[in-house]
Amino acid sequence: MRKLLLLSPLVLALALGACDDKTKPAAPVGGEVKTPASPEPGPPTPEDVPTDGGAEQPSSEPNPPASGPPVQPANPPAPSPATFNHNAPGVMPTGQGHGYLDRTVWSPTMCWPLQDDAFANSQVYGHGGGMGPAGTSQCDSANYSLPWRDNFCEARSRANPLCAGGGTGHQGQDIRPGTCKKNLHWAVAAEKGVVTDVGSYTVTVTSSAAPHRVYRYLHMQMAALAVKEGDTVNAGQKLGKVANDFGGTPTTIHLHFELRAGVAGVTTDGKAVVLHTFLPPYMSLAEAYQRKLNGGTCS
Amino acid sequence: MRLITGLLLGGALAATALGVAVSQSRVDPATGAQVPATTTNGTAAQLAARRAALIAARQQRGGGQVDWQSAVGGLRQSGGVGNSLAPNLNQAAVDQTRVPILLPVDETLTAGARLYSFGDYYTITADAPGVGISLSGTTTVVPLPANTPLNIDPIGPEGATSQRTVDGQLISFTRYGVLYTVEVRCDAPTDPRCADDNYARGLLAKTTAVVMGSAARAAAGLGG
Repeated sequence: MRKLLLLSPLVLALALGACDDKTKPAAPVGGEVKTPASPEPGPPTPEDVPTDGGAEQPSSEPNPPASGPPVQPANPPAPSPATFNHNAPGVMPTGQGHGYLDRTVWSPTMCWPLQDDAFANSQVYGHGGGMGPAGTSQCDSANYSLPWRDNFCEARSRANPLCAGGGTGHQGQDIRPGTCKKNLHWAVAAEKGVVTDVGSYTVTVTSSAAPHRVYRYLHMQMAALAVKEGDTVNAGQKLGKVANDFGGTPTTIHLHFELRAGVAGVTTDGKAVVLHTFLPPYMSLAEAYQRKLNGGTCS
Repeated sequence: MRLITGLLLGGALAATALGVAVSQSRVDPATGAQVPATTTNGTAAQLAARRAALIAARQQRGGGQVDWQSAVGGLRQSGGVGNSLAPNLNQAAVDQTRVPILLPVDETLTAGARLYSFGDYYTITADAPGVGISLSGTTTVVPLPANTPLNIDPIGPEGATSQRTVDGQLISFTRYGVLYTVEVRCDAPTDPRCADDNYARGLLAKTTAVVMGSAARAAAGLGG
């Protein structure tokens, strides 16, 4: 219910129209094989205007204002093996939300999920983003330079129970590929697993090994994926090329990388809870990237 | 309204337990050594209470073990309908799955469903026009740091939670000691079926059929 309050009046009206408990789900058609909705790939068009401001949500659903302090203060900097130029996890400029400060590396041996170098930063608050500097381009060199920055829990309208304030925030890490060209840079599997779902702009890889982390890759070139649902993939295996697919409307050229798992925790009011939810991928990504820089390979 | 009713039934059962705590690396900021979760926020009493609740959550219902007695009850209640609901599920994958598989009583949805099993974790993928649906079950969860409370409200005896994802809705709940999910993913970002959790809750309400393959039946004492 709290989430509904964050929706625009138009979307709220639609939502309330569907809020009747008697409402039955639309009759599904079993066995239908879905065809990706994205168009055939064309030449790179890096100046595509992202219709969502990079926010991965319709413009009718505004970002909520950042509220509340972080759920815990920053620990002293940990001596992470990642030594390339990257900001500490959870560090977020004022007004962009409160980062998640815990330094747990939730996927300690995962593979860097791109074939090449890339830049982790914000699609919304960076150049060319909906909340970025006015009149700038997503291809600005500022977006393609170090340091990395964490944007898990950045102010967004979607649910994220780990985020301070109202329990909303960015659910993954945005990663710009090595250059501002779509359909060029490969995304690869973070762990050995199975492609368990392919949507109109999402690919889901579920790890074969416990705790069966779920990795979601958003905005790849869906019309030319290297995998299909049901494929078994090895760590480092090509999945598809980073693009800006977003259900028929473009977002910025980036990979939205999500890490999920079943978790056991406690709510803010002390109730035990078990759920499947988003885990902060930033430190796992940073350490995986460092391993790549050090010459490590995925296997 | 299933969830409201569940809310009235209350909180004790909502704290359902799964506790196969798979090790995660947490780093001592001073030494770099892996350490248990630290306590950096809240009073000692608050943290102690949270830890106690977390421990209780992990220990309840056998600490990550399936509540086979209840699961067999669910199997009998569903009267074998589960097997006929999804005739195309890979039988080898069904037999490999060591947790009760839940299916929605909706033949049009389940007829073409695909099961991917890792033994202690399974996920079923199905399609409806413009919507993808995933149903999963697992006994494996990771513990969150005790000083990181979750901003979410589990509801009802199954501790149901709803999360709005980038492309849909994700509902988690516990039944038979297993963490299950129902996830809806819309092709179009503006699809009203993903704007709120009503569609996903509709699926949850009819996800009542239980299927057990040979591994699950053996674990439940029913024989292979």
